[in-house]
Amino acid sequence: MLTVGDVFTSYGMIKALNGVTLSASEGEITCLLGPNGAGKTTLMFTIAGILRAQAGSIKFDGQSIERLSAAKVVEAGIALVPENRLVFPTMSVEENLEAGAFIRVAKDRAGVDDDIERMYMRFPVLKERREQMAGTLSGGEQQMLALARALMSRPRILLMDEPSVGLAPLIVEDIFQIIRDVNADGMTILLVEQNANMALSVADKFYLLEHGRVTFEGAPGELEQDEVIRRAYLGTE
Amino acid sequence: MDDIVFYTVEIIQSIIDGVLFGSTYALIGIGFTLIFGAMHKLNMTYAAASLAGAYIGLAFFTLFDAPVMLVFLAAIVGSAGIGLIVYYICFRYIPVEDHLAALMASVGALFFIDEIVIHATNASPLTFPALFDDVMFELGPFGIRGDLLFVFAVSLISMAALWYVLYRTRLGLATRAVSQQGIAAQLCGIDIHRTNGTTFVVAGMLGGVAGSMIGASVGILSPLLTLPITIKGLIVTVIGGLGSIPGAIVAGFLVGALENVFLFVRGVNERDMYIMLLLFVFLVFRPHGIFSRRAERD
Repeated sequence: MLTVGDVFTSYGMIKALNGVTLSASEGEITCLLGPNGAGKTTLMFTIAGILRAQAGSIKFDGQSIERLSAAKVVEAGIALVPENRLVFPTMSVEENLEAGAFIRVAKDRAGVDDDIERMYMRFPVLKERREQMAGTLSGGEQQMLALARALMSRPRILLMDEPSVGLAPLIVEDIFQIIRDVNADGMTILLVEQNANMALSVADKFYLLEHGRVTFEGAPGELEQDEVIRRAYLGTE
Repeated sequence: MDDIVFYTVEIIQSIIDGVLFGSTYALIGIGFTLIFGAMHKLNMTYAAASLAGAYIGLAFFTLFDAPVMLVFLAAIVGSAGIGLIVYYICFRYIPVEDHLAALMASVGALFFIDEIVIHATNASPLTFPALFDDVMFELGPFGIRGDLLFVFAVSLISMAALWYVLYRTRLGLATRAVSQQGIAAQLCGIDIHRTNGTTFVVAGMLGGVAGSMIGASVGILSPLLTLPITIKGLIVTVIGGLGSIPGAIVAGFLVGALENVFLFVRGVNERDMYIMLLLFVFLVFRPHGIFSRRAERD
């Protein structure tokens, strides 16, 4: 469904991605593991159109999206839940959700309102806090808001960048349960995680990213899993 | 005894006039602050563009003998147009992280616009039309000028309109999203360049209101107004806190009132000196503006 082919991306002089190739299949959870600085967030931003690839192709349902602006990528059906949630701090929870539906709020007001109610059903805590400024929510609540906001654009694939970062273990369990639920409803997910154990517990397929390239791919439960987990945490020398 | 009564009445009268006229400073301050909020950059051209808009309105008055309301409307449209041009020339294609380049480009545009105005008017002041300038309301010992009251009312209506746009429309949602979290705004499908351009247009419309209202209350337009209005607009922005619209409103009234009090107490030659001093007082003790907490010193 989403195919990344030999993508190179640089930040100024620093080459962050050195020819990344991977794909995410429809209906599956694909995990991208790797140590800090491996280029995971750069890859997410490149797919989402925030950063531009110097070379390589990104295809979504056969359509080339590597030259599209971030706004067009959202319209194509890709939503990213960014690392550190990046909620709009001085907007209410409800306004954050409306902003998430920005591409269709003008055409489909009723549908957006329905979706907001649906998000409140799925995340009851957001309903309790609907009038509250998003910046005053706890980390876990902000993560749920960021996820709900991304779903508001009605994406066909959801990219999630480090949803567990900075959260207490119990909250991480909740977030991963939600990820399973969203996937069970048919959502394709590409998940970036530092927490390799958690990630492998939900993944259908995983990739290991090191020094800006994919060094391993496989399915959870295979023999090499322990080695992959060690490298995901520690990196290789 | 009579002296004290006279003095008090005059001070209060100065404050009333100052607050009414200060509403135009508030508009200029809001414009600076809106653009700063969206792009985290100062648009130094803003006040000059606002006055240039007023000149465009005035051209309709002198050339076509247009009614005064149409003059104001032309000023709003003109200033919005200049705002969009300034956005494309000084901001759109300059790298986001290069703050100095955008600042210098907008200073350049400020002088460019000023030169055009000087050239077109031979640098001589021109009479600007006002509404209700023959009306005077008496309130006990105080007099309220009809033209200033009109200026005040128009400014408040503009602020209310801005509030509506920012908090009740899709455009306002985009503007606030971009200013609060630019990356997340893009991830929501918001076109950041289009939103910034629109912010310049909206700020420009406010500037057109401010420029023509300044013209209406002073009674003339002159290139000599550009620099003081630019500086007072910036002072209002700093006192209000960069990016804070309520701050800019309060600061606009405050600067207008204090300016008039200084005018009454110390005369026109010294007036602006004290307003400049106010800038330094705020930069030292409240660098993030009137609504922020006291600065921590090390």
